[in-house]
Amino acid sequence: MIIKKDRMGALLGTLAQHKTVFVPALIDGVSKFAPYREGLDVRFDLHNTKLPPKDLLFPQTQKMYRYGETAEGGHYVEQFDESSERVLFGVRPCDMRSINLLDDVFLTKGFVDEFYEAQRKKLLTVCITCAAPAETCFCESMGLSPNEAPDADILLKSCEDCYKVTAQTQKGEAALADWRDFLEDTQAQVLPGKTSLRLNFEGVPQKLSRMYEDPIWDEISTKCLNCGTCTFVCPTCYCFDISQENKMKEGVRFRCWDSCMFSEYTAMAGWHNPRPTKKERVRNRFMHKLCFFEERYGKTLCVGCGRCVECCPVALDITRLIDDIGASDA
Amino acid sequence: MSMVETTPGAWEPKIVAFCCHWCTYTGADLAGLNRMNYPANVRVLRIPCSGRMNPQYALDALNKGCDGVLVCGCHPGDCHYSTGNYFARRRMLVFKRLLEYQGLEPERFQVRWISGAEAGKFRDTVTEVVEQVRALGPLHLNHELVLSGMEVE
Amino acid sequence: MSDIQEAMRSRAKELLESGEVNAVIGWEAGRFENQTTPLITSQAAKTQRLVFNEYCVNNLGKYPRDLTAKGKVAIFARGCESRAIIRLLSDEVIKRENVYIIGIGCPGMRDRTTGELLKKCAECRHGDPVIYDEMLGEPQAKPATQERFAEIQKIEALPRAEREAYFTNAFSKCIRCYACRNVCPCCTCRQCFVDQRREGWLGKQNNIAENRFYGLTRVMHVGDRCIECGECERVCPMDLPLMSLNRKVIYDINNLFGEYETALSLDEPPSALTTYKVDDVEEFM
Repeated sequence: MIIKKDRMGALLGTLAQHKTVFVPALIDGVSKFAPYREGLDVRFDLHNTKLPPKDLLFPQTQKMYRYGETAEGGHYVEQFDESSERVLFGVRPCDMRSINLLDDVFLTKGFVDEFYEAQRKKLLTVCITCAAPAETCFCESMGLSPNEAPDADILLKSCEDCYKVTAQTQKGEAALADWRDFLEDTQAQVLPGKTSLRLNFEGVPQKLSRMYEDPIWDEISTKCLNCGTCTFVCPTCYCFDISQENKMKEGVRFRCWDSCMFSEYTAMAGWHNPRPTKKERVRNRFMHKLCFFEERYGKTLCVGCGRCVECCPVALDITRLIDDIGASDA
Repeated sequence: MSMVETTPGAWEPKIVAFCCHWCTYTGADLAGLNRMNYPANVRVLRIPCSGRMNPQYALDALNKGCDGVLVCGCHPGDCHYSTGNYFARRRMLVFKRLLEYQGLEPERFQVRWISGAEAGKFRDTVTEVVEQVRALGPLHLNHELVLSGMEVE
Repeated sequence: MSDIQEAMRSRAKELLESGEVNAVIGWEAGRFENQTTPLITSQAAKTQRLVFNEYCVNNLGKYPRDLTAKGKVAIFARGCESRAIIRLLSDEVIKRENVYIIGIGCPGMRDRTTGELLKKCAECRHGDPVIYDEMLGEPQAKPATQERFAEIQKIEALPRAEREAYFTNAFSKCIRCYACRNVCPCCTCRQCFVDQRREGWLGKQNNIAENRFYGLTRVMHVGDRCIECGECERVCPMDLPLMSLNRKVIYDINNLFGEYETALSLDEPPSALTTYKVDDVEEFM
């Protein structure tokens, strides 16, 4: 089953009639997943959007509860449910994997985050494989493939002028009913993608677990600016803060993205800070990505999308760090 | 201060006036003693000196639902602390231009020097600012505040 | 540029080996073609990694702040670095005896992917260092742009509603990663108002109102001390027009209080907004 590339616009138009369809688009020079509408600059040719799709499941600011005093002097607490039926269309294998990792965080180990779960259940994922990964892509070194996305509901394999369509889940199978008018039952040659950037990740998490006090952290943290760019463009950084805004007798509790790069992130009452300097914060970020998460969930939190490599203001490159750790004799 | 006749639900401009303790606040006091009438749309907040006026106060007021901000201090040369309002003058000149540059209507952020004796000027200024802002209508800062829709008093 | 690179390596090596400085701040090659990244090292052997080419996009000028506590540092300085150092010195963040400035003339740097001159470099007015202890190579004497405020005037000419839309749109894109703050040589507060959670200046939620509050406050805090290096705009992952805000403040200071350009020498009068004149412009009577 294939769909011609020139039929994609029509397909999106049809799908968008019933659900909000998020597609990679260029808006004001920033690429991100945006709701499809007529005239949107849809860009399936971009390797990766600058902003990851995590915002769909885990918004930068998410209202959780509203509370206050009732006229009778009692109290009320209401939970927000802003989830809706959505399609994430055109996500890449690395970002698809990031959703799988976020699922682990928000839905397993005995904790279920109801806000995440509500939106996750209503999300249909359509993944497009990467025929030509960018120079900063290194997913293959992180155990992924640019040509597969086992977690996606529907997989579109890139061919010359079409995509080969496969439903990978029951949800995907059912969703394909809406696609019928656009599909053709022909064969096409799939273009396999290959990342040019190769790293040896073998043994890196194990080495890292012995490198907590290594001088390497002094070295790389000196250069780091301690801004939150890498954590905000990362598809798997999921740290958040819960806060509230009150006015008179009412208030709203919300959660918002936080970053382990910020000093305030670990500040405790009395301003004690267990991660007082840049060094501890930088160490934590990379340890979490490459070591701690692996220890807890058996998976690496880095999916090799290359966004932080691309966006870091001082070109502090996680791939070079992986190389350096691999080369060290810890 | 007279009570403004308000119909429930009708929009009334909300103005915060940051007033220097030594001059304008005293001037406002004098306006009250002389039983002068001025609109109740203005909330007077006392600051020690116009030099204490932090631009963040104004931004916060506008963000939190005020429709206009008025900053008042002693006349240059008359500062209780000698030079506070000279510093304020420079900062407010620049800040006002910055606010207007990024899209705020000039009437929504104003600065005036009002001495402790100028009760009449205080009344006139406040009335003028309220009427100018009323003519502009509510300030919609495209809020998306988590509390949007909640009314602040 | 390659002879400058050679001179950089040998000077850095000498300085470290002689113990004259504790660390050297320069650039090294990144993983990708035409990519560089700051190199900060105390090891003489690593000075061989120093590079200087047309893609040294980082302004290194803020690094001395974090490093001089441990001893003297040597820094390779073009116009923007040298002005950043003057900024740090005037703000008493670092001491003159703790920084050894090796000047390099700068022809302007290029974008790694497009190969075009960076916007910040096209707008630069001082490519050559304005302060240095020694100079490597010749000054480039790159002609200064004559259109310092062209962008500001263009925006000012727009109707109010369009300006509002322009900046509302910009602030709506901000993700508040604070890269602009952290890279800025003028942002040297021990604690930023953003991090003063108890005082609650800034809410943590991301929305236009909070983003505008952050953006405008930042400008008021750094505007009159801004060295116009344009790093904030370069590092912004959302490509916000940050210099069009910073330069607006400078533009107004220029018009109101006289020709203004800060951090050009060590014996300058105080920054425009930390001083006053009795006969300043009066508009508030």
